[in-house]
Amino acid sequence: MKKNMFWIALAALIIPVLARGFLYYRGVPNQPEIATPDYQALTVSQPPLETPNPAADKEEVKQINGIVLLDYAHTNQYQPAEVQSFSEAIEKRGGKVETITDATSLENKLKYASAYIVISPSGAFTADEIRFVQAFVERGGRLIVFADATRGVIFYDFSSGAPINYSDANAVNPLLSPFGITVNNDYLYNEEEHEGNFRNIFFDEFGKNELTFGLKRVALYGTHSVKSPSGLTLLRGAESTYSSIDDAHDPAQGAAALSEDENVLAFGDFTFLTSPYQNVADNATLISNIADFALGSKQTISLANFPYIFTQPTLQVYPSSEVQLTAETIGAISGLQTALSNLNTSIEVVDETPREGDALILGTFAPSDDLSNFTDPFNVEFDESGETITVKNFGDIGRAGNGLLLFDKNNKGNTLTLLADTTDDLISLLTTVTSNSLSGCVLQGDIGVCSVGYGGSFSTDIGEATAEPTSGEATPEPINIETTPTPTG
Amino acid sequence: MNQVDLKWANIRRWLLWLVLPFVVGILIASAIPQPVVGIIRLDDAIYAYTARDMITQINYAIDHPQIRAVVLAFDSPGGTVVDTEAVYMELARLRAKKPVVTAVNGMAASGAYYLSANSDYIYTKPSSLVGNIGVIGYLPPTPIIFEEVISTGPYKLWGAPRDSDMRQIDMLKEGFYQAVMLGRGDRIKVSPEVVLSGRIWIGTEAVNIGIADELGTETDALNKAAELAKVANYKTVDLRELAGIVNTPLPFFIQSPDGVKLPYPIEAGLYMLFIPQLSGQK
Repeated sequence: MKKNMFWIALAALIIPVLARGFLYYRGVPNQPEIATPDYQALTVSQPPLETPNPAADKEEVKQINGIVLLDYAHTNQYQPAEVQSFSEAIEKRGGKVETITDATSLENKLKYASAYIVISPSGAFTADEIRFVQAFVERGGRLIVFADATRGVIFYDFSSGAPINYSDANAVNPLLSPFGITVNNDYLYNEEEHEGNFRNIFFDEFGKNELTFGLKRVALYGTHSVKSPSGLTLLRGAESTYSSIDDAHDPAQGAAALSEDENVLAFGDFTFLTSPYQNVADNATLISNIADFALGSKQTISLANFPYIFTQPTLQVYPSSEVQLTAETIGAISGLQTALSNLNTSIEVVDETPREGDALILGTFAPSDDLSNFTDPFNVEFDESGETITVKNFGDIGRAGNGLLLFDKNNKGNTLTLLADTTDDLISLLTTVTSNSLSGCVLQGDIGVCSVGYGGSFSTDIGEATAEPTSGEATPEPINIETTPTPTG
Repeated sequence: MNQVDLKWANIRRWLLWLVLPFVVGILIASAIPQPVVGIIRLDDAIYAYTARDMITQINYAIDHPQIRAVVLAFDSPGGTVVDTEAVYMELARLRAKKPVVTAVNGMAASGAYYLSANSDYIYTKPSSLVGNIGVIGYLPPTPIIFEEVISTGPYKLWGAPRDSDMRQIDMLKEGFYQAVMLGRGDRIKVSPEVVLSGRIWIGTEAVNIGIADELGTETDALNKAAELAKVANYKTVDLRELAGIVNTPLPFFIQSPDGVKLPYPIEAGLYMLFIPQLSGQK
């Protein structure tokens, strides 16, 4: 009996406890093991630096020479010191880098440059500038454009404060579109494999070209995508490389492209030229290849390049037998001497027809044996009536008041022949040639016709009324020739 | 013994063996505490002050056994990396002892999602903003010399070379990713690239791809926390009150002179932070 009562008492004691316990607690919760990231094991990625090769440093690179123009006249978003690695590569090859800070000099400078380099401009190129560059490329000059997705100009919206990025793609595309290249207003990224950050990406697929010779992998740092349907994509990203425009991979696009004529090169990035990235992966090799490309221009020298048409340090001036070295003639030649001295070219008057080297031949339309060597290649026919001359592609040209320029280039030297009806006209032609850049002449390839305007009645005596210029004459302007001529081609 | 005595004897016996133990049982039962599910709210960025407040509340929850589970109620764009990590590690201590459930209200972005990933279950509203996994930082300028400022090393003024700063940020991103994967595991249904893309998803999409578990309210979160803690008839308390937090946080975001709060932090640094107005590229 007492035993039963004990169990009843125990139950009475426990039931309220169990009831309340069950009211609130329905079991024992699982206690999972909580793992946290192994922070200590995380490491900072290091760039794959190119292994220095002391032997390669000592290796002499091929001396190519030439002048590379570096654009700094379009509010370019870089500091010249940032592209020092590229400048050094140019100089190592005997080339020279000239910075253009005034766009008005572009046309003139392009006459002697091997390449024109444009880096991340934010200022627009004018229609004239684009035309000058097109003509430069058509002559065989090389255009290299580096845009950069990290160098856009950022504005802040006045009302919302939201940043607005004005990409350099806006400025470079009008320059590149005539050559079938487009820089997209985007950036490429790769989340699977990258160089320290998703927007710093490796490229290990290359279009076959000298520009990609010796490359196994390069790293670019915030690059636009570049496409050239008619040209060659030089740097193609892996399939996991996406464009920020559509988060998709486009195998037709890459980070660099070469135009169909292989004279225009566009990169979506220039940070790889800057320190410390120029030594990552094979970037240094790529920079060397770009320098070779820049100096490897085959710009065809024609009269359009005047006055940068001579390649030798000395220009031989040969007055033909019909030309008298009067005081006026000497004066005109001395003017030429002054002009050429600005180009680091000296002149030497010779009394025999030059056989080699650069030469300036002065003559009249009167047929002479010593001029035939210079006029025959151009099929110039002198009318016996003495009224006209016949020039290929020009037809009959009146002798009076016109001057003829014939430019012959060969491996022995470049020769410019100036012919006019009289010595006076010849002096006028020489003065025109000396004082401006043939802007008043009609140029077709290596032949030019200039109106000297005086029709055989030229006189240097300013006091004579007959010296008034006729319409169409280009008024001689002060000498405005850029220094440092570039022997190219 | 007469009948009356027998009756009293029975009554006494029942009182002694039944009523008294029962009363004692009730008294003992009353000592069993009603379970509590605590709520830790974060309606601000994660930075020194808010992180300290959260850690205080977490420690309170750890130290008080009646708190059986915790719900994190978030409306936060994230914050500094170091403060997020500090809260994250304390949260791991709490989770080892008690279930933690997240209820995303307006937003659990970046650092706030980092913390959410360290919970047992994530509820979100259909249009809450969730994700933005990643790190942002402000690179120092290229070192220059200020003639009027003398320092003892090339990076004394700048902290680090720009390049190494960038790489460190990427390393922090790896830590973030590990935290997400440790917390979510195979519930994540998208690739690591998508997770780390920095995208911010609305709640419904976040659930679809496993960034969150279910659409639901704070009440759902409380019930889930109770379920995981295996408690019922719980009461809910705001741990901020219980932990006695009274201080007013200092401002974290830049305020314009006319009082408008901008989405940019006052100080440069490393952030797990969603900055919604970094857009507008044309």
